Amino acid sequence: MNAMFEPFTDLVPSFFGTLAQGPLTLTIFLHTVIVLPMIWIYKQEKARLEQEGN
Amino acid sequence: MAKKSVWSDNRFWQRSAAWITGFASVLLIWLTFDTSGQISMGNDSDLKNGVTKRVPGPTVINYKITYEMDKKRQHEVPVIGEKEKFFGRDDYSEEEAAKLLHLGKLGSQTKNCMNCHTLLGNGAYYAPDLTKAWLDPAWGPTGSMQAMTGKSTKEEAMAEFLQHPSQYPTHARMMPNLGITAEEAKGLVAFLKHMSSIDTNGFPRNFGKIQGAVNGK
Repeated sequence: MNAMFEPFTDLVPSFFGTLAQGPLTLTIFLHTVIVLPMIWIYKQEKARLEQEGN
Repeated sequence: MAKKSVWSDNRFWQRSAAWITGFASVLLIWLTFDTSGQISMGNDSDLKNGVTKRVPGPTVINYKITYEMDKKRQHEVPVIGEKEKFFGRDDYSEEEAAKLLHLGKLGSQTKNCMNCHTLLGNGAYYAPDLTKAWLDPAWGPTGSMQAMTGKSTKEEAMAEFLQHPSQYPTHARMMPNLGITAEEAKGLVAFLKHMSSIDTNGFPRNFGKIQGAVNGK
């Protein structure tokens, strides 16, 4: 079983090289920067709707 | 009145779309700069000091290039070795080498090599992929092309073939005679040698496994 993060093998160290190590690393990154802020936006909008009495 | 759901609220979707579009734009710009850094060409001192660059400097034509399996990366990578004569010389200066490569690059564009061949992933797949053509054993000392052209070195064999392709039949898909001069042929071979030294993350895939090739059976 491979570890999720393998020692870096790319020629030029790059943030994207780390992300390209496997499907999970990219998925976790995109969920962190896209899905988590959407949850935050959801909560803000929910609070706003409740305040407006809808 | 029934409670309005956030999911049917316009503002939620507008803000989400703005966030995703904005982030994607930043990511694309970031990727562009990341790529530019990786594909920038090295120089002569990098080669002398053993600094590994994805795209080595033009003076790489002074060195022997091989293609070896990298177990860790699980594909073949170009390895720059000892000095090797290229058209009888191994002391091309950075300016001379760059000029030769430039001539070859312009030549490949004016003769429209990509109309049939593939160069670094661009072009057609009618004729053989030229990305690692320099490393094709057919041009090596025991290769059929070198034997057919009667030349004693890889670069001379390639240059001879480029100038008179119709004299050296290959297979069903014949290379047309493009009127390439001796100087242009020299530039084109330099261009092909330099291109073969570029680390393309194993592209073209399985190049070394094709029959009779570098590590083929």
